[in-house]
Amino acid sequence: MSEILVETREAGRTYRVGETPLVALDSATCKIISGSHIALVGPSGSGKSTLLHLMGGLDTPTAGTISWPGLGKREALRPEKIAFVFQTQSLLDPLTVVENVEMPLLLGRRSAKDARRAALDALDRIELADIADKLPEELSGGQTQRVAVARALAYRPRLILADEPTGQLDHPTASHLFDVLLASLEGTDTALVVATHDMGVAGRMHDRWQMQHGVLEVSG
Amino acid sequence: MMALIWFKGLLSRRRGRLLGAVAGVALTVALLATIGAFIASSGASMTRRAITDVPVDWQVQLSPGSDPGAAARAVGKATPYTALQRVGYADTAGLKFTTSGTTQTTGPGKILGISSNYQKTFPKEISKLQGSTSGVLLAQQTAANLHAAPGDQITIERPGLKPVKVKVDGVVNLPNADSLFQAVGVPPGSAPQAPPDNVVVLPSDQWHKLFDQQARVRSDSVHTQLHVDIAHKNLPAQPTEAYTHVQGLAKNVEAQIAGSGTVGDNLSSRLDGVREDALYSQVLFLFLGLPGAVLAILLTLAVTSSGAIRRRREQALLRTRGAYTSQILRLESLEAVIVGVLGVGLGVGLAYLAASTIAPSGVLARATVLAWTLAAAAAGLVLAVAAVLYPAAREARNSTVAAARSVVGRVRKPLWQRTYLDFLLLGVAAFMFWRTASTGYQVVLAPEGVAQTSVSYDAFVAPFLLWVGVALLTLRLCSFGLDRGRKQVSTALNPIAGGLSGAVAASLARQRVLVTRGVVLVALAVSFAVSTAVFNTTYTAQSYVDAQLTNGSDVTVTGPTSSPPAGKLAALKSLPGAAAAQPMQHRLAYVGNDLQDIYGINPKQIGNATTMSNAYFANGDVRSTLNTLAKRPDGVLVSEETVKDFQLHPGDQLNLRLQGKDHKYHKVPFHFAGVVREFPTAPKDSFLVANSSYIAKQTGIGAQETVLMRASGDPARLASSARKIVGSLAGARVTPIGSAQATISSSLTAVDLHGLTHLELAFAIVFVAAATGLVMALGLAERRRTFTILSALGARPGQLGAFLWSEGLLILASGSLIGVALGLGVAEMLVKVLKGVFDPPPESISVPWVYLTLLALAAALSTGIAVLGAQMASGRSKVEDLRDL
Repeated sequence: MSEILVETREAGRTYRVGETPLVALDSATCKIISGSHIALVGPSGSGKSTLLHLMGGLDTPTAGTISWPGLGKREALRPEKIAFVFQTQSLLDPLTVVENVEMPLLLGRRSAKDARRAALDALDRIELADIADKLPEELSGGQTQRVAVARALAYRPRLILADEPTGQLDHPTASHLFDVLLASLEGTDTALVVATHDMGVAGRMHDRWQMQHGVLEVSG
Repeated sequence: MMALIWFKGLLSRRRGRLLGAVAGVALTVALLATIGAFIASSGASMTRRAITDVPVDWQVQLSPGSDPGAAARAVGKATPYTALQRVGYADTAGLKFTTSGTTQTTGPGKILGISSNYQKTFPKEISKLQGSTSGVLLAQQTAANLHAAPGDQITIERPGLKPVKVKVDGVVNLPNADSLFQAVGVPPGSAPQAPPDNVVVLPSDQWHKLFDQQARVRSDSVHTQLHVDIAHKNLPAQPTEAYTHVQGLAKNVEAQIAGSGTVGDNLSSRLDGVREDALYSQVLFLFLGLPGAVLAILLTLAVTSSGAIRRRREQALLRTRGAYTSQILRLESLEAVIVGVLGVGLGVGLAYLAASTIAPSGVLARATVLAWTLAAAAAGLVLAVAAVLYPAAREARNSTVAAARSVVGRVRKPLWQRTYLDFLLLGVAAFMFWRTASTGYQVVLAPEGVAQTSVSYDAFVAPFLLWVGVALLTLRLCSFGLDRGRKQVSTALNPIAGGLSGAVAASLARQRVLVTRGVVLVALAVSFAVSTAVFNTTYTAQSYVDAQLTNGSDVTVTGPTSSPPAGKLAALKSLPGAAAAQPMQHRLAYVGNDLQDIYGINPKQIGNATTMSNAYFANGDVRSTLNTLAKRPDGVLVSEETVKDFQLHPGDQLNLRLQGKDHKYHKVPFHFAGVVREFPTAPKDSFLVANSSYIAKQTGIGAQETVLMRASGDPARLASSARKIVGSLAGARVTPIGSAQATISSSLTAVDLHGLTHLELAFAIVFVAAATGLVMALGLAERRRTFTILSALGARPGQLGAFLWSEGLLILASGSLIGVALGLGVAEMLVKVLKGVFDPPPESISVPWVYLTLLALAAALSTGIAVLGAQMASGRSKVEDLRDL
């Protein structure tokens, strides 16, 4: 059954750069439905990351409202309900691959045993079980992002927010990463919102939302 | 332009790192410059103190028939002087006094002839006890021997001439009789000559009238001395230089008056004794101060290296934008210049403030201090370059853009670990300590009469290597413990980190290079603080014992046998501020022909009124020695010298001659009960200690000439109250411990170490706070990315805190534990190596609990502030930092 996970109404975010106000997001209204796969496209600085941060509860809007009807209170969104995948290397340097993947589960107060089992399972699903004990610095760029995806999947969240996850990868590697991600979400009602410049990636999503100068244009 | 942008960036974005490095350089410079100021000022104050104490600088003994005027001119030619007086010395075959039909006679003695203003010119030689201070004066012991008082007429026997009669005007004390009657011209190192038992002081005119004729009849029995105080203003400040200078002047005088006189150089002799203390003080200051400077250097390096990751990224970015290595280095050198200039300026300012607050005024102008300041400034600049530019240059030359991504890496054992350098250093430390111990801890050598001095600096190699060795061993063990003992670390961290303890332990294990560096810095800072504080407390406590040994107790009341202060014992005991008071006899006794001081005590109670140290007795056991004496009423404790001279064995009967009621010396049998090395108020060489009850019974005189008082409050105030009680007793003197501390024979313990140690203790707290707080805060700032990721993953503030507190507390607890143990070890070693500083040596080290509590609080507080600050920062900057992810 489709469920509204996130709903923004006239949400805006203005930053201050010295004395100058900078509007990063202007009156964005949208709904994220469970199981949906949305591509958020637009040029750099158009407000994609800002919208993802607001949706993920990492930031608060300076105008309008944002709510999570299907997910609960903002304080309880991460790590159980929402997971992030970032553009750059976002693994914890001192921890091994498996320790990185199990981190959200530990933060969610799962027992160490359960967390390890779930982490290994996630790594296995995206064919990374053989590098479980490696350190992030020993991985290639593609592997690093795949581990980040595994970390996002490990908790089996309701919504994954990916901020240009393939931005630093070549096309085949990016494509493979998405194969893995989409395959992992197959058969689940986990929603996926991906901010991307890559039209190939965008083309594989159910919907494509456009962003320009902080303005969101929802379609589909 | 590029440099300007970089400069602005540094000031606005890298303020913490910059300020940390500036603070480190400033502390290093301040410590080094302050140590220099203290070394210079302590030497100068030792010289000043030593020469002020000398009663007469030179006693120029003239050969019979030589011209005193010519000798005086020779002195004036050699050096300016502030006083010069002629003093006549004549031998007497004996003195006689008849009263109530009984005649008292004495053995040989000396008759001095002094001018009317001699006492004003040389006030330390003669002090009044009874009657007038002019006219015919009898020395206290002579008056006691003759049983004569002012107004009595005594007879002086003159060799080869008829006896003469003189009327006594007063009784005086000759506190410096040893030097006044010294044998001038004997080679250095000769056994000191005992002063005469009988002395009469006559006005110069009268002396000439009575003894000029004797000089003609028996020229060997009469001689003249010139007593001279030379001008001190031109003397070099340091004792060793002053000693050589004064010795040269004396030789000059002797050369000028060739053959007709010899200089008894009391000033050089005094400076000779101070040279060793000056060297000890130099060594002491260096040893107390240098570890602090080393620590400041390590902290600076730690602060700058905490930015290594960020620096590597900055360099990588510059390189990707086309910057050459030389351009990168020029930009990095800008940071080194800022750190160097600000650090040196601040350090010199701090040193000036510290030294001018604590050191005597005017000292800072001295060339030595200036040289130290310049050297410290140079060291500061070198440190800035080494801390900032060197690692930057190494990074720029060796790393590539790809390598710049590396932040943690699999840790490879460094060379020192693979070569077991830590164990090697500890082994060498043990060997060096054993070697120093085998020489009886003789660190400083300044042989009497020899201009050359030497300091065995290698004695300090042992504590230094112990310090370095333990630091490296700590690195090894912490690294090993974090790596292999991850399970145990995780269990230990469970109360703080809960379910995250495993991840925290894993994170700490991977970052063990950073963590162990923090632990070692905290350990070194804590050990520096602990060792300095413990040494300082032990030194202060032992200085007090030393002063008590010289003065007798906190307050000592003395008086003649005829009016003993013990008569007022009850009143003295009941004075406010008097914790205890114990009477003690102080008489004279003949051992063979040698007249020695004998102290009559109650062995069971003497310890109530003054410190009785184990070191006072040859067997090192005060309790058993005093018990033995108490059990044997006729027991006597004898000084080592007498035991050797008279070949005594325990239990031997020793017949002493003590003065009885009839003022004659009678044989009193004693039994040798033990060897005493030192005793409150006793002279350094020969003396005896016996039961007061036995002495009283055998001599028929129960008088107790000394009262030792322990103060519960201010000794000076107690002394002032005691003076009111004994004011009516003729010849009674009250001396508080403060006066002994000021004029104590060991000038090293008299040197005010408080200034330096207080400064050091303050520095130590700063170091501990910096090690626990600043370095951690900077390290955590560098790891802000980690906390941003954790926040994005959903970590609650408490969970972020678990990472921060785990690291902070692990560093604090491990560092503190190792630091306290190392500090106590170094202090123990230091006290042993510097045994020569203490008189008597301490039985155990004293631990300053209050200071250590303050230190622990400072460490805990700075850790708390650093962790909370990092926790707040990790929450606050979350959104901006996410843009970097």
